[in-house]
Amino acid sequence: MRELSRAIRKLAMVPLAGFLALCLLCGWWQVVRAVRLQADPNNKRTLERPRRVIPGEVYSSDGELVLGAQEEHGKWVRTYPIAEAFCHLTGYNDRSGLTPGLLDALTGQGCYADPWDDLTYGRPVGCDVVLTINARAQRLATRLLRGQRGAVIALDAQTGAILCMASAPTYDPRNVTQSTELFEVFRNDPASPELFRPIQGLYPPGSVLTILTAAATLDAGIVKPDTNFTCGSVEWIAGSQVRCRHSNGYGQLSLTRALADSCNIAFAKLGQQLGPKRFADYVARFHLLDAPKLPFGEGVVQAGRMAEFVGDNAEAELVQTAFGQGKTLVTPYAIAVLTLAIAREGRQLAPYLIEEVHTKRGKVLKRGGATSLGQAVSRQAASDVAGMMVECVETGTGGRLAVQEVSVAGKTGSAQNPQGVPHAWATAFAPAQSPRVVVTVIVENAGAGGVVAAPIVQQVMALLLNK
Amino acid sequence: MSLIPDARRVELSLLVFSALIGALAFVLSCLAGGEPVAHATRVMAVVGALIVAALLMDLLDDRRDHLLLPLVSVLCCLGVTILWRLGDPGTGQHVAASKQVIWILLGTALMLMTYYGLDDVRSLGRLKYAAGILAVVLLGMTMLWGIEKNGARLWLSLFNFVTFQPTELAKLLMAVFLAGYIADRGELLRRTSASRLGLPTVELRYAAPLLLMVFFCLAIFVLQRDLGAAALFLGLFIAMMYLATGRKGYGVVGIAVFIVGALVAAAVFPHVGDRISIWLNPWADPTGKGYQPLQALFALAAGGVTGSGLGLGMADLIPVAHSDFIFAAVAEELGLLGSIAVLLLYTLISFRAYQIAWSATDRFGALLAAALATIFALQSIIVIGGVLRLIPVTGMTLPFLSYGGTSIVCNFIALGLLMVVARDWMPAGRRPES
Repeated sequence: MRELSRAIRKLAMVPLAGFLALCLLCGWWQVVRAVRLQADPNNKRTLERPRRVIPGEVYSSDGELVLGAQEEHGKWVRTYPIAEAFCHLTGYNDRSGLTPGLLDALTGQGCYADPWDDLTYGRPVGCDVVLTINARAQRLATRLLRGQRGAVIALDAQTGAILCMASAPTYDPRNVTQSTELFEVFRNDPASPELFRPIQGLYPPGSVLTILTAAATLDAGIVKPDTNFTCGSVEWIAGSQVRCRHSNGYGQLSLTRALADSCNIAFAKLGQQLGPKRFADYVARFHLLDAPKLPFGEGVVQAGRMAEFVGDNAEAELVQTAFGQGKTLVTPYAIAVLTLAIAREGRQLAPYLIEEVHTKRGKVLKRGGATSLGQAVSRQAASDVAGMMVECVETGTGGRLAVQEVSVAGKTGSAQNPQGVPHAWATAFAPAQSPRVVVTVIVENAGAGGVVAAPIVQQVMALLLNK
Repeated sequence: MSLIPDARRVELSLLVFSALIGALAFVLSCLAGGEPVAHATRVMAVVGALIVAALLMDLLDDRRDHLLLPLVSVLCCLGVTILWRLGDPGTGQHVAASKQVIWILLGTALMLMTYYGLDDVRSLGRLKYAAGILAVVLLGMTMLWGIEKNGARLWLSLFNFVTFQPTELAKLLMAVFLAGYIADRGELLRRTSASRLGLPTVELRYAAPLLLMVFFCLAIFVLQRDLGAAALFLGLFIAMMYLATGRKGYGVVGIAVFIVGALVAAAVFPHVGDRISIWLNPWADPTGKGYQPLQALFALAAGGVTGSGLGLGMADLIPVAHSDFIFAAVAEELGLLGSIAVLLLYTLISFRAYQIAWSATDRFGALLAAALATIFALQSIIVIGGVLRLIPVTGMTLPFLSYGGTSIVCNFIALGLLMVVARDWMPAGRRPES
């Protein structure tokens, strides 16, 4: 009998070990592996949750409802009160626009979970999100772009907040998901309305990139604003034919005039002097090719692409890139951030789009803010370029950027492209002395930047400056 | 003696405490929207029945186990609450929760009958051959005339009126048979068993009835492709052989036999092979065969440490959440804390059952209690292990928690048997009057 009871005691240890193993496994799946499992594409909860929670809503910085939610037959469906102007930001379903990036906040998960709210509301409840976007500027920009293809992006020069991010053509998120046929039409539209051009459109930068070339060469001490160049109308530089926009050439001109009048030859020469290594270094310091860190879904934000300066054509490529042509492609966002760095005396910022996330009861859980990216060029170089940009608005190609009673610094560009008529670029900040806003505009295949894009920049800037 | 509190009072307060847990669960569920009164009635019925049972058993003799009932009560309350929260698949009604309460009431009654009816547990030992043969016959009948539900033929219809799962009953009968046989012939088995090449052997003369019975059961399970039940019976058999002979080698042999058997079954029956390959990599077919185990894992991950809260999770997305995967539902809504609490409840119940076994005064009682403890612990580990991907998923119920009439009733009968064994050695539950 005693032997038997001793054997039973030993036997009892086996299930005990089994239960211990199960406890450890629970920890493994529920804690260690939890994040990976929650992100698994097969996880039905990800899709199901937004339909079950009381979803969060999205507001513009001036308090307008942008993405609403409304209960229909026990399920929550999205509403789009400002459908046209905000379509690219709201997206048309849970997997487009900002919704995937804001999923945790809008469905009250992760760090946005509030158990007490869940309990008192009787079901999980999401948080509301306030964007930095100014709904008035967004509406205006969308209206100005109507009928064309292009993008408008505006930044707060002091905080780095994104004030406006418009893309054209737009679409109506309520219509495209009505039927598969409509969705197919939407998807296959040659004007690609789904493309969110400020961060997804890749364009040759044209002359707006000369801001970077000028700042880089000034910073490197190669030139001064009054250094003189000679410009014949067509020149061969490093085996590459460079044609100036002025048919007879400018003759003798200073760097300031070269920027103001958009002289390709001067900047081609500057690029050559700077050399491929230093040029690429300044591109990196301005974060020109970085994909923006904005809460869009995976694969939405685009990084720029720079021509590679290798092989026999290396110098020719560099010369083309130095005045914004060649194989280098950038997003309008990148040009806005480049302009922002000049406006901020060389101090680079990564802009932000989310002002704050708060619970339905108003408790703020997260506040947005820009992150500093360091000093791109010296203060002197940046303010020299800013001065040249003022000159460009006052006496150069950017005349239509001028806003009443405010000194504006700007640059226009007309980017040659394989699709035909040049893309019209314009980028500016104002007031030039103590900048408050930065606005960048591109209109695809629309002609000269100073004629087509500049008036849009001017109007958006005037609205944001209350002029 | 004065240090030992009045065990009956402790049991009563623990039972009331389990009712409080049930009540709290009910409040939380109600906040998520529901019908408070009906569910309150359910929890009260479960706990009330167990309290009445405790009082009735004390009428006969208060030398009784006072720990098992409160533990079981927590599991039952939690089970009914989860069933209520899940609602019936498809309809969203709460019939399953109500039915479960009826099964618990019936189970409690049968537990009382077992407790009162069995004056001496040894009288059950004399019925060992009858029990063994009945187990085999029941399983054989299921194989021949069983009804298929969810792709497995595990149910038997009684007069076209109720269906029940003979496997659950066969487990109890098999425990009686093995305990009885080993109590009787264990000494012979032990003396004639030897170790050859490190592996234990038995004299076929004495072990034949044992081996024959176990072989029959295993054969039937394999033919029915019920891998979980096969593992359970094999585990039980190995544990009992160990208790009979004291040789640990049976464990090694048993595991080897099981692995070979499983591999052969996997090769012969595509159904078993599928289960094993899904277990190894559920991501290979995430929307088809891997769907169930994956959704269970997602439920576990959704729970995290503290869980979503009762009624706030998406436990209804888990397939067969009310029976095989009920543990995933608990883990999602109560989190890691809840799932470990449930695991602790199972650990405590099985450990208490083993304690009853090793303290028993006679061989048959000890072996019977050990067999019941092993069945209880193994079944919990196999089912929960299936959810947690420790082992392949097997279609079995989680004792006292899952929905299922036969399972609830049989587990209550086993509880009654354990208390009968405990009665022989337990000190009086009442503090002696000084």
